[in-house]
Amino acid sequence: MSMILVEHLRKEFSYYRKATGLKGSLHNLFRREALVKEAVRDVSFSVEKGEMIALLGPNGAGKTTTLKMLSGILYPTAGKVEVGGFIPWERKDAFKRRISIVMGQKNQLWWDLPASDSFYLNKCIFGVEDSVYRQVVEELADLLDVRELMNVQVRRLSLGERMKMEILAALIHRPEILFLDEPTIGLDILSQQRIREFLKEYNEKSQTTVILTSHNMADVKALCRRAVIINQGQLVYDGSLSDVNRVLGDRRLLSVKLSEPVKAESLRRFGRVREQEETRAVLELSGSRVRETIGAMFAELPVEDFTVTEVPLEESISIFYRKEAAMP
Amino acid sequence: MNPYLCVFRMGIEKALEYRTGFVLSMASAAFPILIQTTMWNYLYANGDAARIMGYSHGQILIYTLLATLVSQLVSAGFEWEVNSDIKNGGLNKYLVRPVAYRKYCLLSVMGQKVPRFFVVGPAMAFVIGFGVWILHLPLSAVRIAVFLGSLFLAFVLNFFLFYCVALLGFWLTDVDKLFGTVSIVLTVLSGGVFPMDIFGSTLTGLFRLLPFGYTTQFCVNIANGRYGWEQIGRGVVCQIFWIAFMAALERILWRQGLKRYAAVGG
Repeated sequence: MSMILVEHLRKEFSYYRKATGLKGSLHNLFRREALVKEAVRDVSFSVEKGEMIALLGPNGAGKTTTLKMLSGILYPTAGKVEVGGFIPWERKDAFKRRISIVMGQKNQLWWDLPASDSFYLNKCIFGVEDSVYRQVVEELADLLDVRELMNVQVRRLSLGERMKMEILAALIHRPEILFLDEPTIGLDILSQQRIREFLKEYNEKSQTTVILTSHNMADVKALCRRAVIINQGQLVYDGSLSDVNRVLGDRRLLSVKLSEPVKAESLRRFGRVREQEETRAVLELSGSRVRETIGAMFAELPVEDFTVTEVPLEESISIFYRKEAAMP
Repeated sequence: MNPYLCVFRMGIEKALEYRTGFVLSMASAAFPILIQTTMWNYLYANGDAARIMGYSHGQILIYTLLATLVSQLVSAGFEWEVNSDIKNGGLNKYLVRPVAYRKYCLLSVMGQKVPRFFVVGPAMAFVIGFGVWILHLPLSAVRIAVFLGSLFLAFVLNFFLFYCVALLGFWLTDVDKLFGTVSIVLTVLSGGVFPMDIFGSTLTGLFRLLPFGYTTQFCVNIANGRYGWEQIGRGVVCQIFWIAFMAALERILWRQGLKRYAAVGG
């Protein structure tokens, strides 16, 4: 049975449009045109226990709105959701004890007090036993390397340090389901890496079910095997990350080194020329044509060396971001 | 530890975190006292104020001082935070945890009042002692206990009044613009500036039907001996009634408001 089940989920928001400047403001003062935005349109997917999936999409695609509905923050307009056997927006305490959400752009800690106070508050809220609490905090503080910072006022911490504290606070009650909304946003490379390593280790150890949203593909590649991609509120891909490229035509990049320069026309016969300078060139071609193309190139061009790689994940995913239709 | 007790404790810690801010907020209470004392001294020295007001010069000064101190203890000040939580999506962190938001806010604000109580309390004792000495106020241990009890109820009532106003943020995005006006109007209507019974018996009767007077004037009139036991009993019942009423209203506003909550921001 799935830990998270989403069926035909929809969410509409109403909003007003305002023309630029004072004229627009004055016009809106007397007459407002109410508009409806469909933030999430008929999204369905499921997540198994212990699975860590990436929920991807361009800005405004509906990722965070989906997470907010899955965590019970927002009521949906329509659709069915079950998280750990609960309907999130009923907001039952038993449900809240099983989940946690970390939002990279929202502070959940008491700003004016040290993070340790917020940790203790969460311990009290979730009724975590003293010995378990001490063990969890010590373990997580070491993993995240924040032991020395726990007694520093949250407002005095750097963004990266605060994010680590947010994650620690969210895990005090050992949730079975974790929603991570851009947990590495604005962090330096080292902090990103540290948080990624931590999440990977934590997921492996605790078998926590995780949904991660991130614009950082390094997060996605390091942590998730599966991606659910939504665009303009609609599901456009649900499958393995390694299959993203295959679905888009299994494109490969063939990098060749030549012993002498050749004309661009000579290269175009073998595939789409993406780069060419002096004796180096990069061609894009279908995966099924790699073998025959290499053979033909060796026969017709002064090829010295070559490498074949997949199209970068970022690039493949960005194609989905541009798609308007449903799943290919 | 009970989570709300923990929130209460953290409220105290938060209030103690900013020493300068705390001292300044206390010092700022001295200005209205200074202005009002000067005004009353002038009015009583140059007119028939005592007859019009129904308060002797000494009585009005004691009233003003006590009302200002009571206001310091029962005042809200948290409504901006509630409104910001609604407007900017800060409510999210409460909705995903097994806590009741209103109880969380109430205990947090209550905790933040504790350090203030230890400064305002002695000042209040001094003013009451001065009144007993000069005006022979009928003070007893029971009256002090009832006064402290009424102060607690007044705090809770004032909390719910402002909490309900803050919850309007679910419908009105810019409700925070109202807070300044509401605060001034409620301070006046509660008798925080001058006693509302100076307006005559008809208006006094009307004010008694409203909840505002039970947040300041009622408490002061227990301490200054103006109210007899019967009036005190009736007043406490009214305080409890208004708390129950506002709490019920708050429940409706909260339930309906959450359906409109947009949880803006990423």
